[in-house]
Amino acid sequence: MTVRTGEAIAARAWPHSRGWSRRTRRQFITGLLFISLWIIGFFAFTLYPMVASLYYSFTEYHIKRAPEWIGLINYVNLFRDPLFWKSLSNTAYMVVIGVPLSLLVSFVCALLLNIKIRGQSIYRVIYYLPSIVPTVASTLLWLWILNPNSGLLNMLLGEIGIRGPNWTRDPAWSKPALILLGLWGVGNTIVIYLSGLQDVPVSLMEAAELDGANWWQRLWAVTIPMVSPITLFNLIIGVIATFQYFAQAYVLSAGVSPVGSGLGAPLNSTLFYSVYLYQQGFVYLKMGYASAQAWILFIIIMICTLLLLRSSERWTYYEGG
Amino acid sequence: MSGKKHWLFVLTAVGLVLALLASCAPAAPAPSKEKASPAEQTAAAVPAEQPVLRVWITWGDNPAQLQSLFDKYGTANNVKVEVNSPVDNDKVIAGLSGSEPPDILVTGGPDSVGTWGREGLITPLDDFLAGGEVDLNDIFEAPLSQCRYRGKYYCLPWGTDTYALFWNKDLFEEAGLDPERPPQTMEELAEYARKLTKVDENGNITQIGFIPDFSWSHLGLYVAMMGGYWYSDDGTKILFTSEPVVNALKWEQQFYCDYNVEEVLRFTSAFGGYMSPDNGFYAGKVAMMVDGEWQPGVNFIQKFKPELYYGVAPFPPPQAHPERKNTNLVSGTVAMIPSGVKDKAAAWKLMAWMMSPEIVAEQMVANFNLPSSKKAAEDPRFHQNEKFEVFLKLMSDPNAKAPILTPINAEVDTELGQIEEKVLHTCADPLPLLEEAQAKLQPMLDKALSE
Repeated sequence: MTVRTGEAIAARAWPHSRGWSRRTRRQFITGLLFISLWIIGFFAFTLYPMVASLYYSFTEYHIKRAPEWIGLINYVNLFRDPLFWKSLSNTAYMVVIGVPLSLLVSFVCALLLNIKIRGQSIYRVIYYLPSIVPTVASTLLWLWILNPNSGLLNMLLGEIGIRGPNWTRDPAWSKPALILLGLWGVGNTIVIYLSGLQDVPVSLMEAAELDGANWWQRLWAVTIPMVSPITLFNLIIGVIATFQYFAQAYVLSAGVSPVGSGLGAPLNSTLFYSVYLYQQGFVYLKMGYASAQAWILFIIIMICTLLLLRSSERWTYYEGG
Repeated sequence: MSGKKHWLFVLTAVGLVLALLASCAPAAPAPSKEKASPAEQTAAAVPAEQPVLRVWITWGDNPAQLQSLFDKYGTANNVKVEVNSPVDNDKVIAGLSGSEPPDILVTGGPDSVGTWGREGLITPLDDFLAGGEVDLNDIFEAPLSQCRYRGKYYCLPWGTDTYALFWNKDLFEEAGLDPERPPQTMEELAEYARKLTKVDENGNITQIGFIPDFSWSHLGLYVAMMGGYWYSDDGTKILFTSEPVVNALKWEQQFYCDYNVEEVLRFTSAFGGYMSPDNGFYAGKVAMMVDGEWQPGVNFIQKFKPELYYGVAPFPPPQAHPERKNTNLVSGTVAMIPSGVKDKAAAWKLMAWMMSPEIVAEQMVANFNLPSSKKAAEDPRFHQNEKFEVFLKLMSDPNAKAPILTPINAEVDTELGQIEEKVLHTCADPLPLLEEAQAKLQPMLDKALSE
């Protein structure tokens, strides 16, 4: 085998590369080979499933039999399906209430953890620790904390004379309970905020201080605008993750009754979008319907992300930008 | 880099990628004679000629016991039987639809058999049954009928479950009831439940007589007691709005809505796990419950609360219908052969062995489940525990019924579960909910049956 064969193949595969030097071409091929694992993985496990699911979303498909083309029927049925809307509104609740709340809490925690006091690093570790706990384990732990009678939370509430709600069995409280659980695990967001806070230029702070700005004014006029790109990042990541909210709700509904009263318990209040999608796909084997659900979710997430990015021009500040 | 080296590099990279992809493939495919490469044959620890049969079981507290049971078959037939237990439901779906399914799949109940049969995921067994290795006359009728879907057998019942009433004799005595006399009618059960419920001065429930959806949910049993089922006998009509379904839900409702729903839910959500000493019934917080034949066994009450003073009796019929005495809904472990299995004859041979009375007896004695085989049921070990015997009699009673299979069981079960939850936990009127669900599900069933 000669060198020319390799070149010929390269030239045939990438005609525009004809003008490349031998060296460039070889580097190109070597580079491709180095990332070939990723490329194959991407095609096999990301691109192909995505394209396939787009196709399935226009079919009736139950795994074994060949998919049957039915056009837009899955989409039409979805818009008529009350549980589709229910799951969407449950998910929207988490996005609209849960995400901003978690940003607020992580920002406040990051501010506190940024204060130079003794034991600072220990506090940082403590706040980050819950993020390491696997989701299923932390959810089970919270089921115990949220137990209406013997749970830690209601016992503490009882100490101050409040009769705590029936967190996991009352449809009005199940989503707040899940938000609470989420707030416990915001360690990652705190770390990102913390790094942003440390990037706030000391010179700006000092200048503001010399101008007589108090702590609040410095926070409003300097810190918050300076970390606004971080807020945007956390917001988008949070929104995307929350739209795909699954594991906690799955574990919660399995744990609510001793043998599990089904997904979405109590009373479909935790039937989130991904949970409903899972039910259609893997319980009822309606893969076409589930694929259509997945694509609608994809479009919703894309629109939300674009809107957030566009609106961000008005409220984010980039130094030198 | 010279040309040769270059290609060596490409080959190595491609090889690496292939190796990586291969490692992502479904685990441990059974090496059939044609497929096994020479390299595999020499590398394998077991003799290359020994075929492997894989058995997946979706339940199992005792995988070692199951493996050792199947090892007997392996030793006698010079095969290796790999038992995987318990297997997650998600994995079952992936296994059934993939190219390397288990040779035998055992599930905890027949719920999905209709759906899987319709989708061609499992094999109809009629041709194999014609061979006579399994004597259908030896199988109790109720469990056997749960495997019939549209005139064909898609599974065979291995172990079987049925349900009866458990009552706490200590709590009966405390409440001034005869501890040896369980309620005789459904009405009396409700009356007893009231006497057995205690509320403290703050309005908190501290003990409850009966909760209809506690532990296993038994809507099916209550509906059968009311004289019907939610499908027509041939499985083509959904009968949600029929009197038995409505009446069963209304009967269940009183245990929440005559009390304070919020308080009942608060009380029950404080119970510990099903398999723990804090189980509401074990802990003496619930005086009566409906549960299965495994409860008096070594893995349940004997293990978690051996000193519990309790009785077991058939669930009582409604006062107006004493002839419905011993009505019970039989359901339980079923075995099937996925349609993707390559050597179905070998899988069937193993299944026939599983279904032999001796093996059924051995497995069910070990797990305190009811045997599906009549011969196995004669084994004296099943008659040593008088509480277990209550279930044995119920299963073979003419009033024993099995759930009817349809291709949309999963949807129907979810819908009924949601309606039950709404009716019990919000005191909603069942009829409009049932009407709405029926209107939604009947076309779904018609469509599934027409395919």
